[in-house]
Amino acid sequence: MFKTFFLTELRYTLKQPMVYIFLGLMALLVFGATSSDNVQIGGSVGNVLRNSPHVVTIYTTVMSLFGLLIATAFFNNAALRDYSSGFNEILFSTPLSKPGFFFGRFFGAVLLSNIPMLGVYLGSIIGSIVAPAAGWIDASRFGPAPLQTFISSYFIFVLPNMFFAGTVIFAMANKWKSTVISFVGSLLIIVGYLVSGTLLSDIDNETIAALTDTFGIRAYSLFSKYFTPIEKNTISPSFTGLLLYNRLIWVALGFGVLLISYFNFSFQQKNKKVKAEKAKEEKEEFSEIQPKVQPIYGSSTEWLHFKSFFKINFLSIVKSTTFRILFIFNLILLVSSLFGGFEYFGLKSYPLTYKVLDDISGSSGIFIIIILVFFSGELIWHDRDNKINEVVDATPHTSFISLIAKALSIVGATTVLYFSFILIGIGYQLLNGYTRIELDVYLLDFLYDKLPIYLVWSGFMIFIQVMVNNKYIGYFISILIIFIWEIVLSVADVQSNMLSIGGGPSLTYSDLNGFGPGVLGKLWFNVYWILFSAVCILLAGILWVRGNSVVLKERIFNARKKIPKTYFRVLTVLFVLWIATAGLVYYNTQVLNPYKSSDQYEEMAVEYEKTYKKYQNVNLPKTTNVKYQIDIFPNERDLKVQAQLTYTNQSQKPIDSLHYTIDEDWNPEFNIPNSKLVFEDENFGYLIYQLSPALQPGESMDIEITTSYITKGFENQTGNTSIVKNGTFINNFSILPTLGYNESIELSDKNKRKKFDLKPKDRMPELEENCSANCMANYLSNGQSDYINVETIISTSSNQIAIAPGSLIKQWEENGRNYYQYKVDHLSQNFYSFISANYEVAKRKWNDVDIEVFYDSKHSVNIEKMLDAVERSLAYYTKNFGPYYHKQCRIIEFPRYANFAQAFPGTMPYSESFGFVIDLEDETDNNVIDAVIAHEMAHQWWAHQVVGANMQGGTMMSESFAEYSSLMTMKSISSSPMKMREFLKYDHDRYLRGRSGETDKELPLYKVENQTYIHYGKGSVILYALQDFIGEDNVNSAMKSFLEEFRYKEPPYPTSLDFMKHLEPQVPDSLKYLITDWFKEITLYDFRMKEAKYEELENGKFNVTLNIEAYKIKADTIGNETKVPVNEWVDLGFFADDDEKDLMFQKRVLINQNEAEFTFQLDSLPAKAAIDPRMIYIDRVYKDNIKSVSLKD
Amino acid sequence: MNILKINNLSKTYPNGVKALDDVSIEIENGMFGLLGPNGAGKSSLMRTLATLQEADSGSAILNDNDIFNQPNELRKVLGYLPQEFGVYPRITAEQLLDHMAILKGISKSSERKELVKYYLNKVNLYDKRNKSVKGFSGGMKQRVGIAQALLGNPKLIIVDEPTAGLDPGERNRFYNLLADVGKEVIVILSTHIVDDVRELCTQMAIMNLGQIVFKGAPQTAIDELKGMVYQKIVSREELDNYAKNFSVISNKMVGGLPLIHVLSSTNPGDGFQQVEPNLEDVFFSKINTTNQLV
Repeated sequence: MFKTFFLTELRYTLKQPMVYIFLGLMALLVFGATSSDNVQIGGSVGNVLRNSPHVVTIYTTVMSLFGLLIATAFFNNAALRDYSSGFNEILFSTPLSKPGFFFGRFFGAVLLSNIPMLGVYLGSIIGSIVAPAAGWIDASRFGPAPLQTFISSYFIFVLPNMFFAGTVIFAMANKWKSTVISFVGSLLIIVGYLVSGTLLSDIDNETIAALTDTFGIRAYSLFSKYFTPIEKNTISPSFTGLLLYNRLIWVALGFGVLLISYFNFSFQQKNKKVKAEKAKEEKEEFSEIQPKVQPIYGSSTEWLHFKSFFKINFLSIVKSTTFRILFIFNLILLVSSLFGGFEYFGLKSYPLTYKVLDDISGSSGIFIIIILVFFSGELIWHDRDNKINEVVDATPHTSFISLIAKALSIVGATTVLYFSFILIGIGYQLLNGYTRIELDVYLLDFLYDKLPIYLVWSGFMIFIQVMVNNKYIGYFISILIIFIWEIVLSVADVQSNMLSIGGGPSLTYSDLNGFGPGVLGKLWFNVYWILFSAVCILLAGILWVRGNSVVLKERIFNARKKIPKTYFRVLTVLFVLWIATAGLVYYNTQVLNPYKSSDQYEEMAVEYEKTYKKYQNVNLPKTTNVKYQIDIFPNERDLKVQAQLTYTNQSQKPIDSLHYTIDEDWNPEFNIPNSKLVFEDENFGYLIYQLSPALQPGESMDIEITTSYITKGFENQTGNTSIVKNGTFINNFSILPTLGYNESIELSDKNKRKKFDLKPKDRMPELEENCSANCMANYLSNGQSDYINVETIISTSSNQIAIAPGSLIKQWEENGRNYYQYKVDHLSQNFYSFISANYEVAKRKWNDVDIEVFYDSKHSVNIEKMLDAVERSLAYYTKNFGPYYHKQCRIIEFPRYANFAQAFPGTMPYSESFGFVIDLEDETDNNVIDAVIAHEMAHQWWAHQVVGANMQGGTMMSESFAEYSSLMTMKSISSSPMKMREFLKYDHDRYLRGRSGETDKELPLYKVENQTYIHYGKGSVILYALQDFIGEDNVNSAMKSFLEEFRYKEPPYPTSLDFMKHLEPQVPDSLKYLITDWFKEITLYDFRMKEAKYEELENGKFNVTLNIEAYKIKADTIGNETKVPVNEWVDLGFFADDDEKDLMFQKRVLINQNEAEFTFQLDSLPAKAAIDPRMIYIDRVYKDNIKSVSLKD
Repeated sequence: MNILKINNLSKTYPNGVKALDDVSIEIENGMFGLLGPNGAGKSSLMRTLATLQEADSGSAILNDNDIFNQPNELRKVLGYLPQEFGVYPRITAEQLLDHMAILKGISKSSERKELVKYYLNKVNLYDKRNKSVKGFSGGMKQRVGIAQALLGNPKLIIVDEPTAGLDPGERNRFYNLLADVGKEVIVILSTHIVDDVRELCTQMAIMNLGQIVFKGAPQTAIDELKGMVYQKIVSREELDNYAKNFSVISNKMVGGLPLIHVLSSTNPGDGFQQVEPNLEDVFFSKINTTNQLV
């Protein structure tokens, strides 16, 4: 019996086109992804082959998500075919075997649903053959087809995923006998997947995330997270570790679901439960005479009609199972993203209203779209599907009233959904004891951003449904428009929001700057789109099927007869208004504020490079002195600048011309004495002034640049977020034109460069021992200036404070504006920012230094911690590295359009979302403010007092040193040795993750090419480990003496080799190998605790024996690994507790074999034993270093 | 007195089916029965009168009001129950009737409440007013449909096969209700149950192939056949013979053998017995023009 049903299932389905269509589709998608450089699923970039095992596995897992649709189709079909054809009553009255029928059908569907997934491998194979042959992609970027990966990924992902999804869908289909519910089943699986995703936001939750993901995708990303390019090219997934557990869990669960469903399954139709009617006691009086009524028709009736239609439609949406299920799913997603969502170091922000709103929008977006699409079709067909259309159509109502009620009832339902989520959000805020609940922000966000979307889409979808007059084709077209239209626009390189339905500038709410610069544009775009939607609805009203005319031509013909003239008049007026708004929006977004599309931008960058690259090395003077006069007009969002610059010729040759690259948003005017404009390219903004006489070596000249940024109207996108109403934050590079050729305009992606026939981008100059020419420029100012004097007079509106680098010399009011004069206390890098906002100021004095925090009045909670952090940094750094040369330390809050902190001389702008709002009330948690402020403060020494030459290794002396300094200040206040591991693990993770994503080459630390994972992650880990070996004082002395040699020194700038010269004397000969291993080569360690057994001794003490494994690995630049003999001093330690907080014993031992045994006698019984308990060594799998101690048998 | 004048109404569907072929009738207050086999064009006629579809030519005028030019004016005085009447899921009977009452212009909520209550009681659904209509049986749904057709002050009530699915008791109840209302307004009742027409209707029409083949009072029609209908029980094998030789208007089984009615101005003899004609004979004689067995 099983065989019969199994085989019929196969035979039946294989005759249908569905299997082949899905197979072809999968193959096509993967073929497209494999053979197009524009598709980057799985990160096939740089050195990773386009058909590498890793990439193929990623394709398999991603396609597994789409596979759900296939599973739904096949399993739903297998379960419901007899019901939908009405054959069930006949079939089930025959003597069937239940297991044969049930499992035959099920496993038939399992086999079938797996067939289309083979398309993934097919697509990959075809892609790897066709793409190189057709010349789309270089043959060197493909390897041989990874057959082993095909097999292993099929059995690890495809089969279990289909099986599990199948059990759920099959069970739900059997239970509820409804295709809609089956789709709900697949949605449920997706929700499970998304929920597990929110867990992944912090390292500590990774394991749970990996286990709870139904698809095993997250288990795989954990498995492969530290893969180097070479590993991505060679390693196939395998049934090990978390991946194994994940698969076991879900397959087992699948069997559970299947069995429950089996025992629940019956051929008999269940008797519906009949609720006993409650006996009604009340007696009603009825008149036998028909009550007299007087029908009234008029405009008030229309309103009544509208309300009644609205009510009926609204009820039918919110009472429907689909809506309720979507609501519940959305709720699950929302709650999990509210409670999940960790940011830095496992910390969370306070539940600010905008954060909660981000969670709500993030989790509800897709559901709202589903509701809009689904119910627009549902409502348009509501009367007809329920066969009440003839009755309703024959009543004296206006069709348009009914239609607009439908559209608005969809809007009403989504609004109700949204507001329930707001209530949940507010509940979450209160639950956290957070009381600054901004109802106005909730409401305005809804009005600016959500309601218009609902109005536009519901109107537009209704229009589609009425036009098409077939529910499923209507759905198809709606979905096509939602998903494909955006792709069409991007392929056609159209970025105007006037064509992207419901589009407009995106708004980011900031506590400083409210909804920000995009509001005006957003409102106009909203008007434009809502009018569009209104026109759609009116057109739909004309074509609406009332009665029985169905042919579009007939409907149009009838419309002319039936629709009153006033209706057409209203339509015309709205249409004209829409066109007028379109004109206004067009004028603002295309004429007043033209923009470049991404393709145009690329082409421009290419042209610029091809035309002006020849001037890159033209001899130019250096800027040696700057005086600014800056006027900020926050309300108008304008900024005016007058800059007086002194140029000095520090070269050996006369300079006869000055080159500038100007930004089109700015309008600079140059006043250069003895010069003539000899070349002007308005297109690219390239200017050449000829100097006569030429500027001789050693000579200086003064020039003046007047420039301004004027905000006009509104833009297609958000607009400039640097110059805003409250929280202007702009640096000197943006304000002034670039002197000479601007290399940063060049395209950087190596494959794009190839496409445009550009040479590969110049690499950073190689590290040289005794460099001269290459060391004349540092990596911050790129050779355009060295340490200079800066003076600023800056003005802003009367309610704001404006800040420029240096000490405040003078402050006054003039013409109702605030003026400030600043001057740097010491020559500084030509690298600083100008800021203006309505600030509160917190001040503290440390020795002669003013510590100031400029913050928004709403963000006072962490200010004391910030002042502490600055003070602690000043204390540690002045003691260990040398004096601080500014008279002030300023932390300045800026709006959250960017999310970073940055160090300029004496000033440290710090994003509002990155510290000011983080919840640090639990003091045992990591303190991100301490870490970030200590890092930025350290830059006042490492970047501003000494800065590396613009060559390999240059950033080590700023970023690695700053991150190390930050760790050391935190170590100085750490209560236990284990506390530091909490910070270090994030630096380890940053390094290991970063090298996995390397597109080019991983270099050793001393040759780092501005690779953040190396200079932040590896640099800090290594320096921290080094101080653990040679002592904090010795490392600090080396840094200090290096600083003393180069502090504020004119070029040549130091290189990492210069630092090595200062470090080497501090390292004892016995440990010199560490410099090679850690700084000059890429070295990894692989330690493993194999066994930790104890026995109790007669004297009450414990003997613990540890069996360990240890390997030392050298890696090359793309991740090829070589094992080398191990000969390391490593700590062995014991934790008294399971949480690894109490390190009760540790001892540093020499490990010189790959396997070793150690025995320790301890006073009390430890809970866990660890190799390298404080995480000093870089080990890709740290977890296996630690094991619970167990009794020796 | 309301008068509905239907003049030369014709309608051909895109697939070539001639649904209405030059239909003309005049209907006054009272119950008007519309008889006809399936596909005769009854529903097309009713839908046309209910403003749900347009005719290709002809006109329909209710009390000087042209239905096609001012459909909304007709809708204000129309009560309509189509052949297939469905309901919204998850809406109670009371909510549904309230909605329909609003659409029919009963704007005062107190009036509406009274009216809905009255009709719910009349169709015997008052106890179930707060139940979702979707859970109702076919008969209960039909009663909701009847109630909604009577709401407001319709001058023209069109009911298409209204008693399908009703048990005999409900059917009587409904006809009483309809007869009550029918005294002062036009009620057009389409049905295939000949007895219904005889019991209820003062005037009737028989439709076939889009044409009106008879119009008048039921009794007049019966009288026309007086003395012309004969019946005989025959054997199955002989049926074809009789069909050839006689104008057989109907044939039904009685005690396992075919009982045929034939139309004849003289006594055909041969064991035929003269019977009193009934409306069924009228019906079959009007539509069975091709002399084939039905």
